[in-house]
Amino acid sequence: MRPATLLFRVAVTGPSMEPTVREGDWLLVRQLRRRPRVGEIVVATDPREPARLLVKRVAAISGDAVTVVGDRLDRSTDSRDFGAIPSSAIVGSPVLRYAPFDRIGLVR
Amino acid sequence: MDLRSLIAPRVIVHAHCDIPCGIYDPTAAKVASDTVAKMVEKITGATGTDTASHNTFARSVQVKEEHAQICKKELLILWTDYFKPEHLEKYPKLHETFWKAAKLCSKNKQNVDAAAAAELQAAVKEIADIFWATKK
Repeated sequence: MRPATLLFRVAVTGPSMEPTVREGDWLLVRQLRRRPRVGEIVVATDPREPARLLVKRVAAISGDAVTVVGDRLDRSTDSRDFGAIPSSAIVGSPVLRYAPFDRIGLVR
Repeated sequence: MDLRSLIAPRVIVHAHCDIPCGIYDPTAAKVASDTVAKMVEKITGATGTDTASHNTFARSVQVKEEHAQICKKELLILWTDYFKPEHLEKYPKLHETFWKAAKLCSKNKQNVDAAAAAELQAAVKEIADIFWATKK
């Protein structure tokens, strides 16, 4: 899935990025047209289910292979299970959490 | 169209975890089984004949019933969602343990039986011990 706009909105489901982002958070994501950086959070297509988008953090980059893991290691299925993903799988990087109201803030 | 639906994302991103829901804890079953035991104690010890006492008695019965059911539900979640085949290899009696514990929940619903309540507490503790051992 490729968004049509530079910025797009997503809703988070699942526990693997807690406490950074949580189930129910609404994020503004910027399309990533550059190479990802280690340590940044990315939205990427799930290599096991390409119609689905994942949100994970970049743990390592080796050539074109990007290792992504959840912030919450005990509640995450990520590169530890499905291996590194190609950088082309990365769609964007969340910049802002705009809901819920009391959690509004930058995502980093 | 209200503001909320106007700003709501139409795309889901998965902070994905294969283990559905993720958070499992035998504490809920333990609290429920302890509650059942406490209610059995209250029901057995009830002496008053006034309306208030009857009310307390009826409520104790109801709470016992509810918590025996909660205990069963919580056990079934652990049994069917948390435990995996590899756990079964390590704990071959796992199915039997859960089955007996679930049966004890029913027994505690049907009866006012301190021994059955204690058996349920012990069964839940056994399951909790296995659960925490798998977390190490």
